[in-house]
Parts: sequence; structure tokens; C-alpha cells
Amino acid sequence: MRLRLTKKMKQIMLLATIGIIALLIAACGNSSIEVKNEEVNLLQEDWSTIESLAKGSEVRIFMWGGDEGINRYMDEWIAPRLKEQFDVTLNRTPMDINEVLQKLMTEKRANRGAGTIDVIWLNGENFKNAKENELLWGDFVQQLPNVQAYIDMTSLDAQFDFGTPIEGLEAPWGKVQFVYVYDEDKVPNPPASFEELRQWMTENPGRFTYPEASDFTGNAFLRHLLYNTVDVETLLNTPDPDAFVEESSVPMWDYLNDIKPNLWRKGETYPTSLTELDRLYSQGEVWMTMGYNEARVESLIANGTFPESTRTFVMEPGSIGNTHFLSIPFNSPNAAGAMVAINYLLSPEAQLAKMEPGMWGENMSLDPTKLSETYRQQLDSIDRGQSVLPADVLQERFLPEVSAEYVNWIQEQWFNEVVRN
Amino acid sequence: MLTGFKNNGLMRLSATKLQLLPGILFVVVIVGYGVVSAFVESVSGGTGVGESWTLEHYQRLIANDVFWESFIFSIKVTSISTLISLFIGVIIARTLYQCFISDYAKLLTWVPMLIPHFVAAYMVILLFSPSGWFSSIGYQLGLIEYQSQFPILVMDRAGIGIILAYIWKQVPFVVLMVLPVYYQLDKRYLEVARTLGSNKRQVFFTVEWPWLYPVVIEVGIILFAFIIAAFEIPYLLGSTFPKMLSVVTYQWFYEGSWSQRPLAMAAMSLLTVMILFVSFLALFLLQKSRYRMMKGL
Repeated sequence: MRLRLTKKMKQIMLLATIGIIALLIAACGNSSIEVKNEEVNLLQEDWSTIESLAKGSEVRIFMWGGDEGINRYMDEWIAPRLKEQFDVTLNRTPMDINEVLQKLMTEKRANRGAGTIDVIWLNGENFKNAKENELLWGDFVQQLPNVQAYIDMTSLDAQFDFGTPIEGLEAPWGKVQFVYVYDEDKVPNPPASFEELRQWMTENPGRFTYPEASDFTGNAFLRHLLYNTVDVETLLNTPDPDAFVEESSVPMWDYLNDIKPNLWRKGETYPTSLTELDRLYSQGEVWMTMGYNEARVESLIANGTFPESTRTFVMEPGSIGNTHFLSIPFNSPNAAGAMVAINYLLSPEAQLAKMEPGMWGENMSLDPTKLSETYRQQLDSIDRGQSVLPADVLQERFLPEVSAEYVNWIQEQWFNEVVRN
Repeated sequence: MLTGFKNNGLMRLSATKLQLLPGILFVVVIVGYGVVSAFVESVSGGTGVGESWTLEHYQRLIANDVFWESFIFSIKVTSISTLISLFIGVIIARTLYQCFISDYAKLLTWVPMLIPHFVAAYMVILLFSPSGWFSSIGYQLGLIEYQSQFPILVMDRAGIGIILAYIWKQVPFVVLMVLPVYYQLDKRYLEVARTLGSNKRQVFFTVEWPWLYPVVIEVGIILFAFIIAAFEIPYLLGSTFPKMLSVVTYQWFYEGSWSQRPLAMAAMSLLTVMILFVSFLALFLLQKSRYRMMKGL
């Protein structure tokens, strides 16, 4: 059977071919876009020049889009104010940071002059990766007026991100702490230590689990357990896990193997992500979940996903906390706009609005002692919700993050020591 | 003028080629580029492309237990889902054809094809998980005392959840491919076989099967190639261990330090070579029976 082509079909085929070729050419030869940043050295300009350069421009921020509260905060609170006060249009694209970095890496390899991303949200390993592969723009942080006014740049968490020196490449945006989430009705006395947690699991088999070590939250849970095994000081002073933790981590793997029979599904499988664990919790399969944000369940209670009786707790040895950051990619077409947007995101009004439980609920990155009287009153009046632990409890239990090397190390070891065992 | 061109032999040849050109370009340029760059990354040492060539990543891969465990698990899950889908698909196509079922019913069997894979995965979770519908129904009816008694069918170590989701998605595709074969089948052969006293089984194997098997094998290869390298269903429904190769590769690729990336590329390159080899082998062997079919047995 041979197909006869009508005249019209031929034309369509021809057009399709031309279309594909045109697309390919367009994809290859995109480097003709002007790079605005090179006209002036922004890193040496004073702030008013940067603000005037940013006027009327569009800033494209690429960030994780998995949380409704966060998205609403960016689109409905930040974007209109940025437009009104600085004439900067904020355009948010939801994308996982891994994919953003991949995109930047590809652009770098293709030698593209101007990229499509102006601001990214990152921390920890991603920052280390981006820094090592030279995907970030430059030392811009000291120039931001709000950093100078409100952030304590001498503190450790403004200098190191998971042990990697920041060197002005990213500006601290917010702080979170790791907490466990439980249902008060089902668990009247939450455990205060890993030993009590083990005891609780023997009494309530199948009601606890943690996400896989490849998941951000699951890995943080395992790091907590490591902190319980090896003391924090030693961990902080030993950036390379292979050297010494190998031996001293034995109690940690023993603990995990020991609790396995009492985990959800007897530890045969683990939730692949925190979302998955949250689903199990909301359906009542497990009675506890967790999360790297002390206030994150507030919005889940409000929208009915989690029961009203959901509360949080922290246990010994403490609660790991970290800071997350905003940065500008090496090929941002609008670095001036990006700096203005980041500066605004670090302003007291934006940071205080971010703390509202209905918006995002996470802690601010500003130093409260540097705030003016009005802002401090506003800060004191914020009710973060019933599920959020009091600030002094969180502060008292705060543990710093160790080197990003541990994240990978735990991920690999966990698979060998616990899962395949 | 144009009608004059149409009769020109050269123009006719290029017309056929023109017809295929968009497709060929698409495959060669876009798919080809991806495959080649993955391969290049899998054999390059150093950080930049082409700095030095090495087989180190393949050696690491071959020595990696996780790779082999997930490879074997992938083959197992893929084979089982493919075989069961083919079996059920052929039975349905045969029933649809023999019972002259209305076109609406046929359309209905194709509905799962329109539904995205991740939705299929969530359907399996909603239906078969220990807190899912079937478990709740069993609990309501008193078949099980508490929900955790329900057999573990999702995120299980045997991959049952994954297999269920794939069967549900692939059976309609098998029906779609096999049904035309039945319509092309000369009914007189069936009658001859029956008149000569063949039972149902004999009719199927002497008359229908010779027509069916080239298509069945082709569809089988398509399903196999698709399932073994697909991601979302194994990611959503798989257990922590063993994982399907695609999920392991994804994790290697997106791991924080990027040090495992060449390993992911090597695994995918090996898989691609394997699928291509099996496909060419099968198509080569099928050529003969295809030819025979064209001539009418």
C-alpha cells in the first residue's frame, strides 16, 4: 500500500519540516541577547543607581512551588508591592532547585550569554554544587541595604551554609527548624528522646516511619539520630564523614535496624518523600510525621488536611535548624532587578508578613535586636498558631547543620546498612 | 504544472521521503542528541566533555550491587506486566471481535489509554493501599478485623502495585493493536478449521495465532521497552528496596554532589543498547513471517 500525498498534505509536511529546522536553529543561536549586567559593574555601584537600573524591569524567580502558602505569599503579597514601590515585575516559575541548577549547567555548557533566571532559592548541597560549578553571579550580599541594616553578618549561619563558606554569593532569606508532628488525641505523651521513641514504637507498632534518606526531610531525621550518637562539636570539627564517623556511627545503624520491625510496614519500605509521609499521617496510617519547618503544619491544619489536634514536639539531642538563601545565577539578564527584589524580600515588612501562619509561617532571617520598636512590637504580636512551639523552646534546642558531605554519606550508608540488610 | 510533477518518478520518491522527513528529523535530532550526549557523559572523565575518555564509570556500574539488584527487579516487573497485558489484551480483542460488541464498548476499553500514568498510580494507591477502598470495604464487611491486615499490594517488595498499574494502562494498547489483525483475518479459515473438527484451542493455535504472533511480539517489545525505562509509576508505587532501574538512575542523577551522574548515564546507555538490540533482533526474525502474511499464508 502506498500513500498518495495530496497537495495540501505535502505543504503541511514541508511546513512541519521547516518548523522543526527553524526551532533547532533558534535553540542553537540564542546568544544574541544583550547582557545588561556588563554595561556597568553592578557590584561597585551605589544602591540608588541599582534601583534606577531596575526600574521597569522584570525579575524572574525560579523556586520550589510545592506549598500553596508560599506561592500565595510570593504572588499576592510580594509581587504587587514590588511593582508599586520599585516598578519591578516579579515573575515566579515553580521548579525544583535540582532542575534549576541543571538548566544553568546546560546554559553554561552551551555558552549562552544571557539566561532566563534572575533569582533562585537554594541552600545546603545545592549551594555547594552551584558554587563549585561557578553557577552563581557574585559577591552581592554586602551591597543590599537591608542586609547591612538588619542581618547579623558575623553569626555563623550567615557565613556558612551547611559548612560551605557563603562569601557573599547568597543572602539569608529565612530560618527553619526541624520538628516532629503528632496527633495529640492519639499520642498524649510524645517521646522526649530517641530512647523513648523506641519505647513508644514497641507499644504502638507500625505507627511511625520516616522518609527515605534521599528525601530532604528523611535525611534530616537521620542526621538528628547521628547527632544523638556523635556529639555536635565533633561533627562540626570533622567536615569529612568517611574519616571517623564510619566506626562511631554503628550505634545509629543498630538503632535503625532495631526499630525496623516496629516501623510502618515493618520497615520493608519507607515513604519516598515527605508528601508521602504526610499522606499516611492524614489518613491515620501513621501517628507522627515531621518536617524541616517548625510552622509548616499550621496551614495544613487550616485547610483540613491534618486533624485539629495536630501538634509538634522536639526531642533530645535537639532540633537541627538551618537558614535558606536567595541568590543570583551567573547569567542573570537582570541582576540589578534581582538585587532590588532580594533586598525587598529581606525587608522587615516582607519578613514579618512571611511569618504570618496564613502565608508561610517560617521564621525570619533578620536579627530581632536590630529591628525598630514598631517592627519589634509587630513581631511580638504575631500569633504563629497552636501547633508551633514557643520561640524560647526552639531557640534552646537549636542545633547547627554540619557539612553537606554528611547528607550524601548518610544517603549511601543508610541504603547499605538499613534497607538492604 | 503540478499534475505533471506528480507523474514524475523522482518527485514521487521525494514525496514519500518528504512525508517521513518531520518524523525522521525529530527522532534523529532530538532523541539522537539526548542519547549521544548521555553516552558521551558516560565515557568522559574529568568535568568537561571530551577532556579524557574512560570506561571507568561502566566498570563502577558493573561492580555495583545496587545496579544489578534493580536491573533484575526491573526485568522481572517488566516481563510480568508485559506478558499479563498481552494475555489479557488478546483475550479482550478476541471477545470484542467474536461477539460483535458495539463500537461504544470498544471505545470504553480504550479509556485507560487517555489517563496519565501518574493518575493511574494514584488510582492504584487509592484502591489497593492498606487505607484504600478495597481495604475499607473489607473492613466494613468484616472480612478483615483491622485495616493493616489487608495484604500489602502497593509499595511492596514484589512490585505488585507497579504491575497492576501497568496492566491497567497497557491492556487497552494491546487491544488497539491486536483488534485490526482480527478484522483482517479471513473468516473462511476459521470455518475450515471448525468443519474439520478442531476444538476452540486448536482453532486458536492453527488459524489465529500465526496471524497474531508477529503483532503480539511487536507490541510486546514496545511495552517492554516502555515499561523498563519508565519512571513515574515505579517512583510512586515502588518500595524503597528493590527499586526499578529508572528510579535508581534518577536518584543518581539528582544526588546532591553530582558525582554519581556519569553512573546514571552509563546505566541508561546500557539499557538503550539492550532495548535496541532486542528490537532489531525481533524485527529481523519477524521479517519472514511478515512477508508470508502479506502473501496470505
